[in-house]
Amino acid sequence: MSIARMVLAAGILTAAAFPSGAQEIKLPPGLEKLADKAEQSVDVTMNKSMLQMAARFLSDRDGDEAKTKKLIAGLDSVIVRSFEFARDGEYSAADVDAVRAQIQAPAWSRIVGVRSKSSGENADVYFKNGANGQLGGVVVISAEPRRLTIVNIIGTLDPTQLGDLGGQFGIPRLDVGGLRMERKDSK
Amino acid sequence: MRARLLSVLLVASAAAWGADREFDQLVKGIETHYGTSRMHIPLMGAANLVVKVAHAAGTSGFKLAVFQNLDSSAEYGDQADLDRLMDRLGTGSLHPLIRVRSRRDGESTYIFTGEAGKSTRMLIATFQRREAMVVEVTVNMDTLMETIAHPETAGKAFGVTDPSWDQ
Repeated sequence: MSIARMVLAAGILTAAAFPSGAQEIKLPPGLEKLADKAEQSVDVTMNKSMLQMAARFLSDRDGDEAKTKKLIAGLDSVIVRSFEFARDGEYSAADVDAVRAQIQAPAWSRIVGVRSKSSGENADVYFKNGANGQLGGVVVISAEPRRLTIVNIIGTLDPTQLGDLGGQFGIPRLDVGGLRMERKDSK
Repeated sequence: MRARLLSVLLVASAAAWGADREFDQLVKGIETHYGTSRMHIPLMGAANLVVKVAHAAGTSGFKLAVFQNLDSSAEYGDQADLDRLMDRLGTGSLHPLIRVRSRRDGESTYIFTGEAGKSTRMLIATFQRREAMVVEVTVNMDTLMETIAHPETAGKAFGVTDPSWDQ
């Protein structure tokens, strides 16, 4: 088990019981404007009704589908914002810090924070504390020199199902050990 | 039984009317905003066939509108203006799902979705440097999930081109 995974596991176990409620991260104007600089920007928004619609189409019998159905049953929204740049330094640390400023204790806990000086790749995973050992939300910020991805998941999640979210609904798969965030090919 | 049949027919036609309305509303909005008209597409049935063949597994109910020479409009190319236009037009029973902007390809794609019985209705508007295309298509859940997993290719995935449109 990698250190990052142990940190993740420890974070899940220590998630305290704070009231859960919707808390959507607002992207600061500076970050919204990054789309003008980015070579490519992707914005995926799935609200509650869309998630419910998706859940209705998933089978209870098929193993993977049943797992996904159970997973999304408690979700209120999934938002993925991704920016890809042609050059390094197109966005600043301040741009990302403005997002981090919204994700503060006691409601949120930073579970994983990895910084790599050599590659300039940083990853942060925050959990919103929910009731009864559940998570109330997750924020993932992956900042690479030429790519910035912010994932905001709101709703009730079972911590043990967290890993299953990677690759679903445009959410990047988090491979903390390799410090890579990439989309899982669905086919 | 007759009453039940009638109500099923009414619901079905209301859904179809709603689908038409959103597609037409988007097309009309683009026409008005950029002072243009959608192209007349000869052999539209053939285009329909192409899409059905290419996406046989998960696509049906295809509608298409193509706009050309949009760059003759002063507003065209203003991304903020386009975002505002799509925010305004993308309403009704469809929800905005995906927005992709690629400076590299000079392309912006907006995808809206809504429920259509056991399938999902997708309204896709793709704006390129000079042309734009609006596609309405009914997809199954696998196709929708694939689109969400690879949003950057969604505009191209449902793109239909035919040399005869340039004539």
